[in-house]
Amino acid sequence: MKICISSTGDNIDSSVDPRFGRCPFFLIYDDSTETYEFISNASRNAMGGAGIQAAQEVISKGAEAVITGNIGPNSYRVFESAKIKIYTGVSGPLKEAIAKFKANQLTSTSGPSVQSHFGMGKE
Amino acid sequence: MIISVASGKGGTGKTTVSVALAQSLGYCNFYDFDVEAPNSDIFLKPDINHYQKVYVKYPYFIKKDGVSFKACSDFCHFNAIASINEDYIFFEELCHGCGGCILVGPEGYVREKDAEVGEISKGFKSPGIYFFMGNLKPKSMRTSNIQGDLEKMLDRNQTVIIDSPPGNSCSMVNAVKNCDYCILVTEPTPYGLSDLKISIDVLKNLNKKFGIIINRDGIGNKELEDFCRQNSYKILLKIPNDINIAKTYSKGGSLLEWEPKMKDKFLGIIDEIEKEVG
Repeated sequence: MKICISSTGDNIDSSVDPRFGRCPFFLIYDDSTETYEFISNASRNAMGGAGIQAAQEVISKGAEAVITGNIGPNSYRVFESAKIKIYTGVSGPLKEAIAKFKANQLTSTSGPSVQSHFGMGKE
Repeated sequence: MIISVASGKGGTGKTTVSVALAQSLGYCNFYDFDVEAPNSDIFLKPDINHYQKVYVKYPYFIKKDGVSFKACSDFCHFNAIASINEDYIFFEELCHGCGGCILVGPEGYVREKDAEVGEISKGFKSPGIYFFMGNLKPKSMRTSNIQGDLEKMLDRNQTVIIDSPPGNSCSMVNAVKNCDYCILVTEPTPYGLSDLKISIDVLKNLNKKFGIIINRDGIGNKELEDFCRQNSYKILLKIPNDINIAKTYSKGGSLLEWEPKMKDKFLGIIDEIEKEVG
């Protein structure tokens, strides 16, 4: 299963970014093969609807779960309709987040954790 | 002649000044372009006798097996449509109504419908103030559409006062682009000065004549006045920082109700502007 983590950088020693739609990179991690790739978040500077665009990109990469700090209402709706599990409130190193996910230590969210535009103006 | 009253910083007294101008004139057309938060009616107290709805075109999508709206979501710069496999989500509040999704989407499955985004109220206040106020529906992004309909009602043959929204972005540009003269209201604080400079840049780009009214004179510092003097910008009026103005305002009273002598000052400003506009 592929999981997506919002990331502060494009290497495995980076941390989980508190924002979803406007984070700089996404880590796409496949826990069955233990392989990963980083994708640059093209919508981070979108005029509006960054989360919506980012969520579609993540879905198109085949991710079935998303790990991030926070998720806004719009991206939440997109993931919900694609039946993708979202884990919020996660911070710290990516490796730690992966380990916690594998150990079933993360709890999925049943709603957006922040309002729209949370990720704006926080570089 | 069209006079717009604008300000980069919010809450400096645009409505206070524009209402006082209209009341001093007695005979004019007044337009509240601050459609996201119009409140000039509280102070001018016109009899509203007509409401005109503002409609814009919104797309709607017809779901069918095998029909994908991915082309629409790829096209939309505002990300108003998300395409997830064969499903879609339309975020109406993000849509700017460009119609692009209809052109690029699956033919016949994306159509347009009218949606109400707000209304314009028209009224009259004796002796001769014709009143026009735009009011955007909550959550709608269509500020410019309401302003566009207000713009169509502008009558250049009358003396026109436009109360602009705060800031220096599109909605402010819409409120000043037709004016012959712009009054910039500001306050003598670093914030007031900083935003004034941006407003002046906008007006210079639009080749507009302008003058400055300093409100809450007495607070802050002298930097604003020094800046105006150094650049030879005209200070039309200084309104003192007086608790009684705030008290009158809080009861829906205008500057003229605070001090009837202000009328002559505002008429003097109109005379000065008329001479400068020619």
